[in-house]
Amino acid sequence: MRVQVKAFAGFREILGPDIALELPEGSTLTGLLEGLGRRSPGIQKALFDDQGMPLKSVIIMVNKKRQTRAEFGSRELHDGDEVAIYPPVAGG
Amino acid sequence: MIQLTRDQIDIEEFIRKAKTPRIGGIVTFIGVVRDDGILSLELESYEEAALQELEKIRDEAMKDFDIESADIIHRIGKLAIGDTIVLIVVAAAHRKEAFKACEFLIDRLKETVPIWKKEETEDGSRWIPGEHG
Repeated sequence: MRVQVKAFAGFREILGPDIALELPEGSTLTGLLEGLGRRSPGIQKALFDDQGMPLKSVIIMVNKKRQTRAEFGSRELHDGDEVAIYPPVAGG
Repeated sequence: MIQLTRDQIDIEEFIRKAKTPRIGGIVTFIGVVRDDGILSLELESYEEAALQELEKIRDEAMKDFDIESADIIHRIGKLAIGDTIVLIVVAAAHRKEAFKACEFLIDRLKETVPIWKKEETEDGSRWIPGEHG
């Protein structure tokens, strides 16, 4: 299946703005992050701590709906999903 | 009205539009680019999600406070010192509900709406860290 990853702010500068990613059926958000991390040590360091847990500064929306960190490991993705990755917001 | 714009915000225009015969008071919040030794400020957003979130908090304010209207206009793109970053206009029959709703809106905006700021200085640029994870 194919999902579209959109990255913003600091993550955009590291990942690029728009990535089409091929993932095995049944992949979770954690699986997607791990797949991105394997692309380069810089990406791994931006997404994960030393224990391999996603950093608190990694915020994710799937199809424009915010996912809690507790859901990363269980939230299965589907073909055509749009996954947004961004840091804590700073508008206003 | 909910809007993200790359153009300068015409504050007077939005205040004028909020005035109707039912209104007794208008409260505004105007966020401005402060001179922290920067050259400029770059605002980025996840536009579709930001608009959706702004509409959601506006709808919450309309439901929870006794107000007539709430408008949020947020700049994106490159801003200079003194430029308006965000304008919130809340109109109500009575001032107290308008003050409360306006504070609610700017607080929620800063917590949840996907917008980020990058400072450009003479030494380079840096993303302003957000407080809400």
